[in-house]
Amino acid sequence: MNKKSAGFRILAYTFLSLFAMMNIVPLFWMVVNSFKNEQEYAADPFSFPEALHFSNYAEAWKVANMNVYFLNSLFVTFASLIVTVFFGALASYFLSRFQFKLRGITYGVFLLGMLVPIHATLIPIFLIMQKLHLLDTHLSLILPYTAFHLSLTIIILEGFMRGFPKDLEESGVMDGAGIFRIFWSIILPITRPAMATVVILNFIYNWNEYLFALVLISSSALKTLPLGLANFVGIETASLTLQMAALTMALIPIIIFYLLLQKQLVTGMTAGAVKG
Amino acid sequence: MQTLRGTKLAIFIGLFPALLIYLGIAIVPIGMSLYYSVMDWNGIGSMKFIGLDNFVKILGDDTFWLSVQNNVIIMVTGLIGQIPLGLLLALLLNRGLKGSGFFRTVGFMPVVISSVMVSLIWGMVYNTEYGMLNNLLGLIGLDGWKQNWLGDVRWSMLSISIAYIWQNCGLYMVIFLAALQNIPDEVNEAAELDGATGLKRTFRITIPMIRSTLLVGVVYSISNSFRVFDLIQILTGGGPAHQTEVMTIHMYNSAFMNMRYGYGSAVSILILLFSLVVISVVNRLGRDKDA
Repeated sequence: MNKKSAGFRILAYTFLSLFAMMNIVPLFWMVVNSFKNEQEYAADPFSFPEALHFSNYAEAWKVANMNVYFLNSLFVTFASLIVTVFFGALASYFLSRFQFKLRGITYGVFLLGMLVPIHATLIPIFLIMQKLHLLDTHLSLILPYTAFHLSLTIIILEGFMRGFPKDLEESGVMDGAGIFRIFWSIILPITRPAMATVVILNFIYNWNEYLFALVLISSSALKTLPLGLANFVGIETASLTLQMAALTMALIPIIIFYLLLQKQLVTGMTAGAVKG
Repeated sequence: MQTLRGTKLAIFIGLFPALLIYLGIAIVPIGMSLYYSVMDWNGIGSMKFIGLDNFVKILGDDTFWLSVQNNVIIMVTGLIGQIPLGLLLALLLNRGLKGSGFFRTVGFMPVVISSVMVSLIWGMVYNTEYGMLNNLLGLIGLDGWKQNWLGDVRWSMLSISIAYIWQNCGLYMVIFLAALQNIPDEVNEAAELDGATGLKRTFRITIPMIRSTLLVGVVYSISNSFRVFDLIQILTGGGPAHQTEVMTIHMYNSAFMNMRYGYGSAVSILILLFSLVVISVVNRLGRDKDA
């Protein structure tokens, strides 16, 4: 390597390191301080804690109802995800493996959903849920979470199923299997890689959602994690370290999830953005 | 497959559940928004048709125009911050430097964290008395630089923009990086033979090669900026005194705080219109350059 490229390297690494620090420092600062008590934090917000106080965690877990929020988020996230992926896969199967008159239009309608901004539907959805007496239930979240992620789910799954060879179903037909049997035991199993992407994407979007939860859920016992956290921090303004403990508890699982499934998340979320 | 009996019925059964939920919850409400936008309604009493009155009221409302102005600030700072930074990072990571994987992982991390968490964390960073930023300034002896980052109107929108860029920059980095990695090797080899190296090659060859992806990035960044809600709702709630409100916050407040559903729906229609207009203009400009 010549001199010029050594200079380039130093510049590049300096810049990249600064960028990485910008991304890590706020998170790291929060995690470190979550182990301090108030006095220790007030004395020096940049030191390492003298001892690891887990008392903030115990208190935050209790005061902030973290267990309730975690369970609610898990339930809503997985219920929406299962409904979305199952109905999405079923629709994709018919859209990709069958010829029928309205196929093009139906697919086009689903494609349109990638452009629909959530806020333009927020007030009507609130009023629909009110009419159906579903306000302040988990179902009121599961329905919009499903509706708004069917488009991306179908685009990804349809594209994948389309690639299978034409005569794939023939063996099934020979065996006398019906249309739904073929879907369940031939098509679904080989769609697994695309299903994984779709499941991960649905999971992260549902897990992080805030606006619908804010509008549709009011009782504390039904709040999802983002809504509960936002509320807790709004109320518990006195103790910053307590807030930090609560946030860290919510942050750690998502960071682990990200590090484990980084590849799928990165390609999936990028596709989600580019197609939208 | 058409030979199978009952195929039509099966197709119907297979598509029906997805279509029902999707049309009922994602598509029909847009029509309903249009309908409500010409009504005067507080959600309880009877609805009254008032034509375009809501729109007239909105366009004469100073707080609405303030929110439009703030949307423009988010859009412009977002574009300036995310696109060049994302591109620069992508170009650097595309050079096959050691540790590229680490920087990519760290760069994309904020994208995966919920905007609620991002807002709450940045709220702590900006906290006037106990926040990281002011403490850091104090630590290096710049006490005079301490600010009320979110409460002071001179700083609040900038502070919000920085948190916004922090959250999204990694997405553009990854989008551009994927495009760069798709440039065929022959192009780079040919460029080298022609003596195009370093910055010259980057500007004359590499960047033009990913033009269409850059345009996608610009369009996505713009449409994203019109959707900003969580970040501002949590960081400032639109305050102090509407100073950091964006259109979505304005809509949320009028509909769900003041129970003006007609007015709120009209705002949501305007957001949709504004973003469609800006995006089609950008698309037009982007394509003109191609011709």
